[in-house]
Amino acid sequence: MLWRAIVGRLGLSIVTLWVVSVLIFVGTNLLPGDIAQIMLGQTATPENTEALRVKLGLDKPAHMQYLVWLGNIAQGDLGISKAGLGAGLGTPIVEVLGPRVTNTLRLTALVAVIAIPFSLFIGLIAAMHPGTQLDRTVTFSTLSLISVPDFLVATFLVLIFAVYLGWLPSIVFLRGNETGWVLIKTLAMPTLTLIIVASSQIIRMTRATVLNVMSSPYIEMAILKGVPRKKIILRHALLNAIGPIVNVIVLNLAWLVGGVVVVEIIFAYPGLAKLMVEAVLLRDLPLVQACAMIFCGTYVVLIFLADMASILSNPRLRHPK
Amino acid sequence: MKEIKTFQQMYRDGHVNRREFLAAMGALGVTAATAGSFLTSSSALAATPTRGGSVIFASNLHGPDDTLDPLLGTSTIDYTRANAGCNGLIQIWNDMSLNPELAEEWSVNSNATEYMFKIRKGVTFHDGHPLEAADVVWSMNRHIEDGSPSSIGSFFTLVEEWKAIDKYTVKLTLSSPDADMPYKLTQPQAKIVKKHTTNWYKCGTGPYLVDEFQAGVKSTHSRNPNYWRDTGQHLDGMEITAITDPNARLNALLAGSVDMVITPSAKMIKKIESTGKHKVLSVPSGVYGGICCLKNTAPGDNDDLVQGLRYIQDRERIVRKFLKGHGTLGNDHPINISYGADHCHELPQIPYDPDKAKWHLNKSGYSTAELFVAPVSGAIEDTCLLMQANLKKIGFDLKLKKVPTDGYWGAVWMKEPLNVVSWNMRPTANSMMGIQFGPNGNWNDTYWNSDRMGQLLKDSLAETDAAKRHEMHCEMQKLVSTESGIIIPYHTNILDAHDSKIHGFSNVPLGAFGGNGWAEHIWKEA
Repeated sequence: MLWRAIVGRLGLSIVTLWVVSVLIFVGTNLLPGDIAQIMLGQTATPENTEALRVKLGLDKPAHMQYLVWLGNIAQGDLGISKAGLGAGLGTPIVEVLGPRVTNTLRLTALVAVIAIPFSLFIGLIAAMHPGTQLDRTVTFSTLSLISVPDFLVATFLVLIFAVYLGWLPSIVFLRGNETGWVLIKTLAMPTLTLIIVASSQIIRMTRATVLNVMSSPYIEMAILKGVPRKKIILRHALLNAIGPIVNVIVLNLAWLVGGVVVVEIIFAYPGLAKLMVEAVLLRDLPLVQACAMIFCGTYVVLIFLADMASILSNPRLRHPK
Repeated sequence: MKEIKTFQQMYRDGHVNRREFLAAMGALGVTAATAGSFLTSSSALAATPTRGGSVIFASNLHGPDDTLDPLLGTSTIDYTRANAGCNGLIQIWNDMSLNPELAEEWSVNSNATEYMFKIRKGVTFHDGHPLEAADVVWSMNRHIEDGSPSSIGSFFTLVEEWKAIDKYTVKLTLSSPDADMPYKLTQPQAKIVKKHTTNWYKCGTGPYLVDEFQAGVKSTHSRNPNYWRDTGQHLDGMEITAITDPNARLNALLAGSVDMVITPSAKMIKKIESTGKHKVLSVPSGVYGGICCLKNTAPGDNDDLVQGLRYIQDRERIVRKFLKGHGTLGNDHPINISYGADHCHELPQIPYDPDKAKWHLNKSGYSTAELFVAPVSGAIEDTCLLMQANLKKIGFDLKLKKVPTDGYWGAVWMKEPLNVVSWNMRPTANSMMGIQFGPNGNWNDTYWNSDRMGQLLKDSLAETDAAKRHEMHCEMQKLVSTESGIIIPYHTNILDAHDSKIHGFSNVPLGAFGGNGWAEHIWKEA
């Protein structure tokens, strides 16, 4: 039963990726101008634009360009970034993506390692003492932080820690050879921003689902049996609440991989999301497609994992009516 | 000396104009030439350079299309890298003076159709290969070959041939006179690169080597130990990057994460200077923001409508309020005082005159129009809003259609009947007028064609008599400001901000931090 679900999911994932690639291709083509025009900008003339178009292989009809791309990707070839090709530099997309993927994964991992245990802890603490001063403080601050956009959080942190106190750098300059304390200091600001934004949601979800489970009859039974409250929550409630919590964690992880454009721009962090925005501004179609595939792939995989976790934690889902 | 600083500040803040500033300096016993440099230079009072250290420079734009090939450069970050890594034949430096660079000397025949360049001996590219005439010919031919993506190809349409006479002599033959050619050779795209090069990391002869380059991220550079001239090369190295968000860029400077940032907005200047640790470099230039009325279609084809829109520009207010004094009044033609002798100071300044505007607009028969606005220049949106408000007072309904800058140059500019534009300064008045209003201009963005203009552009290039040449330029500026469809309310200064420990910037108004060519000249206090 579980295997059938997995195979079905894999098939659906490939279809999803394909549909997204078509949408991205059509969408990018709908934008005004092509990469030749955008690269030349105000200095474009019909002659030099046409010359650049031929160099970039844009003289072929759009559907042919798409089919060529699809053929290449089927063989695992992401293609060549159009940008810089005019100089004969034409960088393979794998090379462009490489350092950006590393950067993004590094930041995501750092945030996840700190934010997930922290939020679960705070969420459970709040759930253990509902209605108390502590719970109200947690609820109030998480609600406030969810309502504040990430760029505002980032700007405030920069103002406080970089401009006034001067403790941390306001932007991220990765030289690639940082280790230990230096690396932590370099990444501190974006990490802190993302932890604040991501944690709030996980904390709220943890608290809500655990409290929800706490009102079910079997918990009442456990209380009547005289099981200590701590044990009830960790052993009886948390395991049954795991489905929705994993879901919200996974959505946050996917957001960290592809959705943190604003944070990357504010800290000049060379990650994937910023690359995608730059690629769209340039109409560098193969690069846009490659980024989109990574983002979409991340979502598909993570959500698949979340669903699996839900199914495992809830036997009822294993036997659909 | 304290007085000088005070007046510098007043000039920057727009409390005194250039004339008043120079008069004040005269009163303090400063000669005119020195006073002129005080206008733009913040380092005039600084001490002797120290060697060592490095700087981090943050531009405003970058992306996967960043390039090390000078010819393909399209943005400040590309030009800056080209200047760090390469040299040109001729260099433009303080007060728009021409200086020999890889061309040790050059000569021109009497009617400006033949140039001879003597190429400097003993210069080597970063890969150790010596520079020869053939490299120059190859580099320059890239701009004129068929299918060249060069963005300054239009400067070289008159070129018939670049020829290596011997190992160190290059001859340039033109099909018709061009006395401005040496200025055109100073453009960053016209840097000399190694013949047949494919390794763009080591293509040039410049003061700093490219250690690392990652498009859309950053590049790092270190001092070229075999540089051919002594300009200081005070810095050990530098990092060139960009921070696209203007507030993040400013914060990075204030927090000390970077040392130099380009284009802070005029509103940020007070904040930057209030720290006492940072300085703003404000260089008057020919950069402008303007409004294009297409002359080949309604409503721009109506001369009265354009004239009405000219009189409704409250130019003084724009410069004072929106540019905070870091700009100069526009007179509806691109050639302002920064172009030196070619600027027509005799031409009267067009005033803000709502009555005349009303009269012209009534005569035009229009009572409404639509203008496409994108934030292509710092003050252009505010300017259009002010214009809309002032037009409303005289019963004209100007609709502003806001569009994004993304894709603007291909989709809106030169297409919609009324749109906004920004232009960088070109090295000479003739090249600026030529590309925008000449018969062969690629960017005739108001579709205005005038035979007289074409004739004057051609004649002035061949004219060697200074007075006659000035007269011709005056006529051209008058033609553009009365007949074409361009409205230029203001010229902006080039604004940059830097750590006040950095000194030695030039006043070239053609790009960031003194025409992008700062790398080998600046120094940082230890």
